[in-house]
Amino acid sequence: MLKVQIGTNLCGKYFLISTACYGVNYTRHLFIQRETPEEDLKPEDYQQFRDVGAACLSGGDGQQLLKFIQDEKNQVTSLILDGRLTLDESRAASVGLALSALHKQLSRLPVPYTQQQEEADEHGLCCCCVALATFTRPFVDGVKKKDENCNPTPEDDELKAEILKFCMLSLKEPLLEAELNRDRKSTLWLFAVEIMIILSAIRESLPGLLFFSSLRKFTTMDTDLSKESAACLAYLLFVQLIAMDTFPAVFNPVFILQCNMEHINQLLSRYAISKLQALFAKSLEKVEDNSLPVGVLDLESFYSAPQVRYTTKLESGLKVFQLFINKLDAEAKHKFFRCMLKTSHHAGVEGYIVNNIRSQIQSTIKGEANKWFLGTELLLLLELVLSLPQAAETDLLTNMDKIMESLNLLRYLLTRDKELKSDADVWEELCRIKDEYLKMLRVCISMSRAYYSAEMKALKEERKLKQARSTRLLKTITVKHDKVSHMSPEVQYQVLQSALVTFDLMESLVVRIDEITEEKQGKPH
Amino acid sequence: ILSYSVFFSTSVCKESTAVFAANGIDITPRKDQGVFKVVKRQGLDGDRPMIGDKVTVHYTGKLLTGKKFDCSWERKEPFCFNVGKGQVLKAWDIGVLSMQRGEVCTLLCKPDYAYGPTGNPDKIPPNSLVVFEMELLNFEGEILTADGGIMRRIKVKGEGYSNPNDGASVDVHLEGRCGDRLFDCRDVGFIVGQGEDKGIPLGVDRAMDKMQRGECCLLYLKPKYGFGNEGKPEYKVGPDKDIVYEVTLKNFKRAKESWEMDLNEKLDLVSGVKTKGNQYFKAGRHHQAVIQYQRIISWLELECGTGMEQHKKIQDYVLTAHLNLALCFLRLKEFSQAVDNCNKVIEHDESNEKALYRRGEARLLRNEYSLAMADFQKVLEVNPLNRAARAQLSSCQSKMKEHQEQEKKIYANMFQKFAERDSKVCKLTKRRKDESMRSGMNGEVGIKRRRRSQDCPS
Repeated sequence: MLKVQIGTNLCGKYFLISTACYGVNYTRHLFIQRETPEEDLKPEDYQQFRDVGAACLSGGDGQQLLKFIQDEKNQVTSLILDGRLTLDESRAASVGLALSALHKQLSRLPVPYTQQQEEADEHGLCCCCVALATFTRPFVDGVKKKDENCNPTPEDDELKAEILKFCMLSLKEPLLEAELNRDRKSTLWLFAVEIMIILSAIRESLPGLLFFSSLRKFTTMDTDLSKESAACLAYLLFVQLIAMDTFPAVFNPVFILQCNMEHINQLLSRYAISKLQALFAKSLEKVEDNSLPVGVLDLESFYSAPQVRYTTKLESGLKVFQLFINKLDAEAKHKFFRCMLKTSHHAGVEGYIVNNIRSQIQSTIKGEANKWFLGTELLLLLELVLSLPQAAETDLLTNMDKIMESLNLLRYLLTRDKELKSDADVWEELCRIKDEYLKMLRVCISMSRAYYSAEMKALKEERKLKQARSTRLLKTITVKHDKVSHMSPEVQYQVLQSALVTFDLMESLVVRIDEITEEKQGKPH
Repeated sequence: ILSYSVFFSTSVCKESTAVFAANGIDITPRKDQGVFKVVKRQGLDGDRPMIGDKVTVHYTGKLLTGKKFDCSWERKEPFCFNVGKGQVLKAWDIGVLSMQRGEVCTLLCKPDYAYGPTGNPDKIPPNSLVVFEMELLNFEGEILTADGGIMRRIKVKGEGYSNPNDGASVDVHLEGRCGDRLFDCRDVGFIVGQGEDKGIPLGVDRAMDKMQRGECCLLYLKPKYGFGNEGKPEYKVGPDKDIVYEVTLKNFKRAKESWEMDLNEKLDLVSGVKTKGNQYFKAGRHHQAVIQYQRIISWLELECGTGMEQHKKIQDYVLTAHLNLALCFLRLKEFSQAVDNCNKVIEHDESNEKALYRRGEARLLRNEYSLAMADFQKVLEVNPLNRAARAQLSSCQSKMKEHQEQEKKIYANMFQKFAERDSKVCKLTKRRKDESMRSGMNGEVGIKRRRRSQDCPS
């Protein structure tokens, strides 16, 4: 409906902002000289500029408008927008619309993810951020002044709500995706600082946004936006330490951790993995080891999110994972291990958990008495540890990590039989679980070995045939898991070979366990 | 009472502490001298905050050296939190509960009740004694829901860290009052989420998962969470009345977590849950129906099942639950939740007539006309005989027209204003032309001009 053009004339002295309206056949041109002194502008000029500005925005030319404001450091703009206007509609609403529209333009620009990209600012995102911050400043200052003079009106509250919405939008885009580093105060970093300053200026309580927002209804935005933005805010505050020095120092670290779990899950749903790891680690830092009781954390959130897979993918993820486990008390560890063994479906994670179980049993035996890693409670865990997910058809290779760790655990348990035998019923049950597991495992190993040996034989045959008839194409071998089908024969051979070695290794551990069992049975009590 | 200037100007810590201890009261429950309090200004005589209450304070925190590490006055922002819930330092939970409205006091806190052996990097060294000056500005009951419909004040604190979850079996003692009249007094056991079956108001049921074993609290319920616009004749409670329930959670047993249950276990129970949900829906108890349908989803949405048949069975339950939830949310006027649930179905099945129709309804009620129309049109593509969809479509069209008429009026006015302004400026420009030239900042001669096109609106 409204078409807008902004351009400079040849000698760069004037800006031409023209609006043409189709259908009504009406054109307006507005020349503004650069650095027009304030006194020479009349209220009508302000009104015009505002109308034209609004037209720019609705016509989708927000970027141009931003550039205009930014490039020329045009004082006209700030003056025009400082509240001298008397507008027909609600000022707050129109400011809100302007900010939303401008932000929408901003959000279309790609976010730089390296330092070089950010400095080059090819698509102008950083530039626009600065311009947008500049644009907002007069409104924020106005609101702040009113607060100081202690006479804010409902209109002011509306304006604050619109400015808050703008901050939240900016936290979501681009700040959630931006690479921020407090040692290198880049443009986007400064933009983040600016947003924090604005939040403070409009008297928006950070604890309110971060810890107590579930009980709040935002008038200007939906809950999804506020959740994602709050997650980014938590990251900026706790990891990048922006505005941390004025954040209240009286919160309980466990409470902070609980609240941040929500934000960590949000970051996960946005695939901001390094950010969530950093926030998680930071939140765990101040919590005492072995202190978190089972009800304090909602383990449901660990179950329903695939975050375990993400958090353990990177080495740093494993560190955070272990850090978390260390903070749980014995009962919580027990429940968490059960949860992970049942739901992670990831052998690497399971192996890691089994290893942790072994450490826990070790420290329990060494004297930190607790019922969760000895006796009947231990049996609940062992049932999950000493089991093959698909019985005899379990893929030993994908489950290798868990199986090896479980065999190590068994071997350890047998060497501590003295301590464990103190409860005869428990020991009997433990032996039963062990025997069934090893029986199944032996069957599985021999089946797998037979299968892979057959595959190796077939591969050798193929090679012989190939040497004889070198022009023929090699058929792909259908191996159980499709792993080898796209590789060259040499690599296929190596894979099969190493699989067989793995089976040998597993079997040797099983044999060793049998030996120890016999030894122990031979010994007098 | 020792004056503070004297206290903070001395740098001999031990002496100061001893003086403080001599003048203050040990307010710890165990009397281990962990927190000493000196009242600087008495508060309004009256009640004190109850556990869980939302309190508003101003405070300054200092080390014994006098160095300030935190101050709410400087932020010009009073500090709010729920007292006695472990959200803040231990000393604060104890200290604020002992204060009255308007009271100003000082707390001397041992590290165990404050920042402990870790301290707080940059600000507080390990094992520090700290001093807080506190002012209790206000306290009020704890709001449990975003709409403020349930407010709680805890009379007796419970214990332990777990709470009843949906499906938990609970044993409670209830006392229901309207004004001062006691209308309900009994010991009763019920399943959380199904309190309706025992005549237990929604508010009491929903508060369960925030209660601890042994807790006794007062729940202030707005009609939405009480007896609504129907009232409850058997209790002689009229429509739209606020009620108060005193609830004591004697005991409870949590329901199994979803991840603790076997898939077969879940499949055995799920049809019962669905039936329950449908019963509630028929009885107009939409909140309760939502709880049941959401249970189905939390149990089954991450399950795959073994084999095609089981997989299909699971999927059917989940999709039906989403459709039912959408309908419930339409009745409850929670339109975005309705849309979300429809989306879940449409993701799986783009031609699901019910999902598209309900989404259309929700969108229309949110005034998203074009989106609503698109949905209804799709419904008609899937099933041209759907009369209701046809009716909705024309309803959309007429509402959209209305909206457009309104917008036209606004724009029409805008151009009128442009035109009026233009004529004014023409006159202004003419006057300016007659003025002499002015010099610019750097000695340049600059001509300020405003030119307006002579095109006029048609």
